[in-house]
Amino acid sequence: MSITIPIGPQHPALKEPISLKMTFDGEIIKDADIRLGYNHRGLEKLFEGKSYVQNIYVTERICGICSHSHTTCFVNGVEKLLGIEIPKRASYIRMLIGELERVHSHLLWLGVAGHEAGFESFFMYTWRDREIVMDILEESSGNRVHYAINTIGGVRRDIDETQRTRILNSLKILKERTDYYKNLGTTEPSFVARLSGIGILPREQALSLCSVGPTLRASNIDMDVRKDDPYLAYDEVPFEVSTADTCDVLGRTVVRIKELFQSYNIIEYILRNLPAGDIKAKVPRKVPAGETVSRYEAPRGENIHYIKSNGTEKPERLKVRAPTLANYPATVAMLKNGFIADIPLIFAAIDPCICCAERMVEVKDTKTGRAEIKTFDELKKYSRDFYKNHKKIKKDTVWPF
Amino acid sequence: MAILKTFFYLLVYPGLVFLIVYSLFCEWFDRKTYARLQNRRGPLHTGKAGLLQPAADLIKLFSKEDIVPEKADRIMFTALPVFGLAIILTSAMYLPIWNYSMTKTGFNSFPGDIIVLIYLLSLPTIILFLAGWHSTSFFSTIGGVRVITMFFGYEIPLLLSVLSPAILAGSWRLAEIAQFFQANPGLLSVNVIGFFIALAALQAKLERTPFDIPHAETEIVGGTFTEYTGRKLAFFRLITDIEMVVGSGLIATVFLGGFPGGIFSSFIWFIIKTLFVIFLLSVIKAAFSRLRIDQMVRFSWYILAPLGILQIFITLLVKLKF
Amino acid sequence: MGKKLGFFIPELWRHIFKKPATVDYPFEKLKVPKGFRGLPVLNTELCIVCKACERDCPAEAIEIRTILEEEKKFQMTIHNDRCVHCGQCADVCPTNAMTLNNEFELSEPSRWNMKFRYAYTRQLRKKSDRNVDEKDKEIL
Ligand code: SF4
Ligand code: SF4
Repeated sequence: MSITIPIGPQHPALKEPISLKMTFDGEIIKDADIRLGYNHRGLEKLFEGKSYVQNIYVTERICGICSHSHTTCFVNGVEKLLGIEIPKRASYIRMLIGELERVHSHLLWLGVAGHEAGFESFFMYTWRDREIVMDILEESSGNRVHYAINTIGGVRRDIDETQRTRILNSLKILKERTDYYKNLGTTEPSFVARLSGIGILPREQALSLCSVGPTLRASNIDMDVRKDDPYLAYDEVPFEVSTADTCDVLGRTVVRIKELFQSYNIIEYILRNLPAGDIKAKVPRKVPAGETVSRYEAPRGENIHYIKSNGTEKPERLKVRAPTLANYPATVAMLKNGFIADIPLIFAAIDPCICCAERMVEVKDTKTGRAEIKTFDELKKYSRDFYKNHKKIKKDTVWPF
Repeated sequence: MAILKTFFYLLVYPGLVFLIVYSLFCEWFDRKTYARLQNRRGPLHTGKAGLLQPAADLIKLFSKEDIVPEKADRIMFTALPVFGLAIILTSAMYLPIWNYSMTKTGFNSFPGDIIVLIYLLSLPTIILFLAGWHSTSFFSTIGGVRVITMFFGYEIPLLLSVLSPAILAGSWRLAEIAQFFQANPGLLSVNVIGFFIALAALQAKLERTPFDIPHAETEIVGGTFTEYTGRKLAFFRLITDIEMVVGSGLIATVFLGGFPGGIFSSFIWFIIKTLFVIFLLSVIKAAFSRLRIDQMVRFSWYILAPLGILQIFITLLVKLKF
Repeated sequence: MGKKLGFFIPELWRHIFKKPATVDYPFEKLKVPKGFRGLPVLNTELCIVCKACERDCPAEAIEIRTILEEEKKFQMTIHNDRCVHCGQCADVCPTNAMTLNNEFELSEPSRWNMKFRYAYTRQLRKKSDRNVDEKDKEIL
């Protein structure tokens, strides 16, 4: 007998609202259906009403964790439209913050994986060490989460000598700790037992379902925008694309840990070879008409911004493709034939950022299946009427009511 | 006078009041140790060093709204927590802390009380299963089924491991087992394997990490307790806390030589030994990640149960030579 | 990859006697680094009412109103309930009248407590300033 139950929109395993409609046969998942739209914020509309400078800070708020990724992606695109070259030092500082962000995001993910697997101590320890990176970021940019280091034409703050030595010193501690977590995450039997062999995504499937980021690289495909289509100065920085061949959640963990080490090396390289010079070029406020696509390798995968300008101070269209959206089809494939107990882990393994991926909501009448456009007042009236005529839920109704 | 004394025993020490107060203290101790193991502070502000935090949590729960789901079986849903608490309080009566003198044993020490204690300790598991089942929500039902599945896993190893000291002591009476080991403390070392099996099984019984599968928060929300709120949930928390005291008391009795001496020294020994066991439980809780239900059952049957049998073999060998 | 049971225990044990990493926050004040972007404050003496901050604020948190045009009286309201602490206002300000201090405990029970009003007369540039324009000179 198979039953369909909802995981979400409110569920302790989900940090943000999303609805996974699961069909179970006993403890085994037979089918999964992802429903989005609980967290739509209308950001793309907002972009159109703000100037390019203001939009830096709006794009930053697409995501709380890869905030720098979105601004860099946006700012790179705008600079491409403007046809200007930013100073070398500025692009190095952008990369530096980007890599620090990757470190913080991956350490955060390790903790989340521990939490989803019920390994609270691992969660506590990784998050404690993540504070080191957060402190560096706070010190060099002025805030822990929204660094706001980018501006069109360069960066807003410089890295001075004391910060440089401090970051280098902190890196030593971080390397040591990450090494420990690498051993822990790959040898602790109860943890490994939970991670290995679940959420299998074979190589061909990963390609055909267009997954991105560590999810893709864990299926042994070395795709990384930083290597394939270098932006900023990534073509000057030596690093390797980390992959794993196990195609499961353990592989995704290993890829992330390997990337941590790569990031440490990149940060070290950047700090040792920081070119001197200006950090900001002068730019006009108006952007010439045109359109462009900008790609960025965020900690969660490839991030794409499409910008269309019409020669004014404000963009005509800004389309954001967050990495999480690209990974949803793969998630459905991974969830099939798993255990109930694996849902949070498999779902967390793509490092979902749900609100980043929400682009539109279509409200459909469940009975007629028709979509309508309603104004806010109409919607309010509708909800009032709905609750007035709302019948009490009967004893044996099944979800959805 | 004798009646008053019995009432004092039942209600104050070592009965109801003592158990509740001590179990809350144990919860505090567990939380504090767990926090320190994770480099955190743990409860801090209610009472000195957060000592009153578990009590505050309990009081808070008692004052919260009490909801019975429409689809749930109202009578069972309400009665189960009370039954559970009654059962677990009864089981505490069989700890040898009640009869510190072998000459004047009370009504609750008799040959075979170890079996009664284990039996009473396994009843709350059934209560949890029923509670999950009668909540009728999906998550509770899965939780309930997981409780029972796990129960089949750990109960046999627990029994095997607890029996081996009993075999060694040649008695089925807790007080006598404890006394035997007090007389021959060297023989305690025979049961080391059994001690660890019992610890693991107790951890599973208390549904703590790595065996917190029935109420795995990230998988099935609150598991068995999903639908429970307010007073009823407070009862369940109290049950778990007291179960922890009784379970660690049982382990301390059979594996650590019981609680010798008169009323005061036995009290002190009880505190020291149970806290030691609870400390070990906290370390286990901190050091592992949650298992999946199939992994847990496999672990019990492939590792714990054979080890339990091995332990009994060792005990028999020692006994033959002895 | 050798699997070791209880790999984590030595690490846990090491920490049991160590000082906790968490901070007893509201009772123990936290230090923020130099350059932290906190509450935006206006130095009314320096502001020349160029309205660059109002134009560039992404959250529309700055509102400049003219009270009396001829007396050069203005009122700036910083809606701290909307401010996202990006620091753009401080960046564009030509006279450094707008700065971000390092206050971060900004929560209030009501959003109306978070509006900061500055009523001021537009300051005229000092005499020593070479670029004083003619109109200003007259008033001086
Ligand atoms: S800090 Fe940013 S949001 Fe706040 S007032 Fe200044 S420009 Fe506006
Ligand atoms: S604060 Fe600075 S930017 Fe804003 S109006 Fe005054 S001088 Fe201009």
